[in-house]
Amino acid sequence: MKQIEATQAPQQDNTDHEIDQQLKKRFKARALLPGSPAREASHWGLAQHALLLVSLVSGAITHGYHLFLYPLYVTDEGIYMEQAWSVLREGALSPYTYFYDHAPAGWLMIAGWVSLLPFQFQTFGNAINTGRVLMLIIHLVNVFLLFHVTYRFSGSTLAATIAAFLFNFSPLAVYYQREVVLDNLMVFWVLLSLYLVTRDDGRIATVTLSGLAFGMGVLTKENAIFFAPVFLYLLYTQIRRHQNYRFAMASWCYVSFSVISLYFLYASLKNELLPTHFDFDLNNPPADHVSLLYSIWWQLHRSQGSILDTHSYFWVILHIWWAKDPFILVAGAVALFANVVIGLKDRSHNRGFLVVSLLAAGYAFYVAKGSVLLEFYIVPLLPFLAMNMGMFISYLLRPLRKAGPKAIPVAVESAFALVFCAILISPTGGYVYNHDQWGKVVFHDLYKLPVTPMQAAELAYVRKNIPPTAKIIIDDELWVDLHDVAPYYKWAHSHWKAAADPAVRDKLFGKNWQNIDYIVMSNQMLQAMEQNNGDGNETWIIDALLYHSERVWDLKRGGIELQIYKIVK
Amino acid sequence: MIVSLAFFSPAQPFIHLLVIGALVLSVLLILQSGHTLYLMLYTWDQPEAYRLAQAPASFLPPQKTFTVMLPARHEEDVIQTTIERVVRSHYPPALLEVVVICSEDDTGTIAQAQLKIDQLRQQGLENVRVLSYNEKPINKPHGLNIGFRNTTHEVVTIFDAEDDIHPDIFNVVNTLLQQERVAVVQCGVQLMNYETNWYSTLNVLEYFFWFKSRLHYHAKHKSIPLGGNTVFFTREILERVDGWDNYDLTEDADIGIRISCLGEPMRVVYDDRYVTREETPPTLKQFIKQRTRWSQGFMQTLLKGDWRRLPTMGQRLLAFYTLAFPTAQAMLGLYIIASFIMILTVKVPTVIAIILNIPFYMLVAHFILAMVGLFEFTDAHHLKLTWKVPIIMTIMYLPYQWVLSYAALRAAMRQLRGLNNWEKTQHVGAHRQQELTALDVKPSSGR
Repeated sequence: MKQIEATQAPQQDNTDHEIDQQLKKRFKARALLPGSPAREASHWGLAQHALLLVSLVSGAITHGYHLFLYPLYVTDEGIYMEQAWSVLREGALSPYTYFYDHAPAGWLMIAGWVSLLPFQFQTFGNAINTGRVLMLIIHLVNVFLLFHVTYRFSGSTLAATIAAFLFNFSPLAVYYQREVVLDNLMVFWVLLSLYLVTRDDGRIATVTLSGLAFGMGVLTKENAIFFAPVFLYLLYTQIRRHQNYRFAMASWCYVSFSVISLYFLYASLKNELLPTHFDFDLNNPPADHVSLLYSIWWQLHRSQGSILDTHSYFWVILHIWWAKDPFILVAGAVALFANVVIGLKDRSHNRGFLVVSLLAAGYAFYVAKGSVLLEFYIVPLLPFLAMNMGMFISYLLRPLRKAGPKAIPVAVESAFALVFCAILISPTGGYVYNHDQWGKVVFHDLYKLPVTPMQAAELAYVRKNIPPTAKIIIDDELWVDLHDVAPYYKWAHSHWKAAADPAVRDKLFGKNWQNIDYIVMSNQMLQAMEQNNGDGNETWIIDALLYHSERVWDLKRGGIELQIYKIVK
Repeated sequence: MIVSLAFFSPAQPFIHLLVIGALVLSVLLILQSGHTLYLMLYTWDQPEAYRLAQAPASFLPPQKTFTVMLPARHEEDVIQTTIERVVRSHYPPALLEVVVICSEDDTGTIAQAQLKIDQLRQQGLENVRVLSYNEKPINKPHGLNIGFRNTTHEVVTIFDAEDDIHPDIFNVVNTLLQQERVAVVQCGVQLMNYETNWYSTLNVLEYFFWFKSRLHYHAKHKSIPLGGNTVFFTREILERVDGWDNYDLTEDADIGIRISCLGEPMRVVYDDRYVTREETPPTLKQFIKQRTRWSQGFMQTLLKGDWRRLPTMGQRLLAFYTLAFPTAQAMLGLYIIASFIMILTVKVPTVIAIILNIPFYMLVAHFILAMVGLFEFTDAHHLKLTWKVPIIMTIMYLPYQWVLSYAALRAAMRQLRGLNNWEKTQHVGAHRQQELTALDVKPSSGR
């Protein structure tokens, strides 16, 4: 057959090269992320897989060992487990009036998890333990996602390893990541969304799933919305060079918006979107029905003082965080600022630094701005502080990669990582070991101090000595175990609901201390009741406790004290 | 469909049935819409599919010979320009034979065509002729069969009378046919006059998504309803399927299904540079007639049952779903009325209400993708998008869907009544940028 020579197709106005040039000229197309899967050089070898495995195993140990014994079960854990209970047992979002305090995706996830288990809420001993096992699983998935995302942003195995190490070992992280809080679930969705958007496979489906994950993150905990601006920036820079960028961008935005809008659709179908007569007066809460938009308006106006106010609750909380892990807070902040500079200096090649630092900064802004702050609100910041530190350290060691054969920088980085981790694990760093009051090297409380058996003992006392027909004021961490295990204590309600929910406060108790039979006190519950008594709705309970009760049970260990009071009528 | 909470209690059995029916339909709609959205974005989503959709970067020397059939009826306004464009393409005239196919009673078109042919002969181009016929039925598929059986070149293609072809289209197909063993190459057809009237934008975008994305999915799964022009068949495959069905209103879809049954590979190419440019029907009445014909043709093809001979279940399902869609669209038009009544009268649990609302989300998604597609389209074809077009498109999006449902309903009624006549679409050359020059009309001396 005669050799046929091809001729160049004439009138090719838009060759690939010309399109590429146009893109670069008009939109300053960015280079691929250093660790993008689209780069040949980013393909993983044995080292990366091994270090990921080590990260997963170490995360399983740090978060799984002693999981049921420390920390103490807290109110919010009880609240989310009781709402999950209501989903499964009552087909409702809450056993009480759902007043749109949070979007429900988080406890729907918990309910889904519990429904799979053979003994449901009691599978792992009690309801909160069952929830904590889910948090463990979520944490391991988060480690996987964090490792990959950090690698993609930095192109550095060292960065990914250090980030995962900090995420796994930081006492601040371990403490709150064990707890059944919505923030842990939100982090999963946010990291998943990041993982998908950095996948770089050029597919609209992947970007769409990223939008879905982000929307789920907001539906799990609304604060995720503070990540949105940086996400949009990252998304745009990731997809701009693809021919489908318009569709991808539209898909991400529409899907995330649609998912979030389901919350508003739910409220409007229940006729609970707007307050009656569109009255948003914060001094006059709606009496006839709850309202989503009113709740949002109320939340936006809540404040406990900003970072600028030295007496604000922010500093109280910061002190609590500081006691757990000052290193990650300080070093993380330093790395954050450094990465902003690194990223701005060369956005084309260091875009990952800019993104990670802005993700942390965006959420830190929310924490510092002065809205209501709870201890575990640090949770969404932790992965990004860890990523910032990992990436900054790898950046500092980057000059080594250009000096000499590859084995040298690998050896130096490995040695650095080992020393870094060893110092933090040692009593010097205090991550795993520290010195007790006698100077002896012991494990951190996270791995040795059993505190939840105290709460189990309290529950056991209730079951043995208090009749199921008694009207009891409790804290939420006992709620599911009293309502889900026979005999059922159907008149046991938390002090929060006894103060705020008319069905409990007025219909059941009549706001009268004489209708209370027992008060089961969690740790620092009196302090919480007093803080919650700004409107006077807890006064009748506090009065019952202080003036009309006798203590029938007490257990104290260290700074933890649990009590049970019988009301004397 | 937005469902709110209102009067009746679900205790009433009839309401129960209605709600269950609505729920089932909503779930089906969600699945169908999701699949439609996926097909709209198929090529954009899959980098490999996008690459395959592009024309070759370089052309092989001309080797294949082409029969170009131009079926025409009452196309006096446009036929001369179309003949000119075909003949002046960047392909050796010796390898092209061009036949204008008309019924004998269409003296106006024949006269105009013959005038152009005479002019071309004076310039040494003798590869164009008129083929006329008078046997019934007088319609496009019959004309194509006449043309097919009275020509000889190895690749047979069709262009409609109003088509603006790209001068390199034959080079593209010639290259593909030499490089790949395929029996059919469907090239891109694109409506261009997106600003002409309130429905033209959405009509243009339908073509854009169909040829640029969805057809590639069909080609990959080997169950493809072909387009009616800019489709290239090897003569051998046409002989194997015995040409077109004279009585099928969508002879293109029908032949595509029949060739798919043979398991022959088919290739789809949509490269923005090489699309054949067409126009939307000039009036709403014409548009409805065209869509009625297409819907009814799909119904006919479905009822014929050739799709049942497709080799795999997946192919059969895809063909069934594609051909049955106009029927479903007709029913959807009626469902909208029912759903509106339900909005005002039926109370359902919140979760069910949310599910019943999800098709609305899918509808909005479709609209958004169409809007993005508008920007893609104008960018791809270097057209300037004015601010009015997206606004008009937004306002008329739902009315457009209602028109399609009406056309589908009309098709169903015609099918039930046994009305199979070809309602021809008028063409005025709205997509052509150059003005047609006035030509003297001479008596036909066609063969």
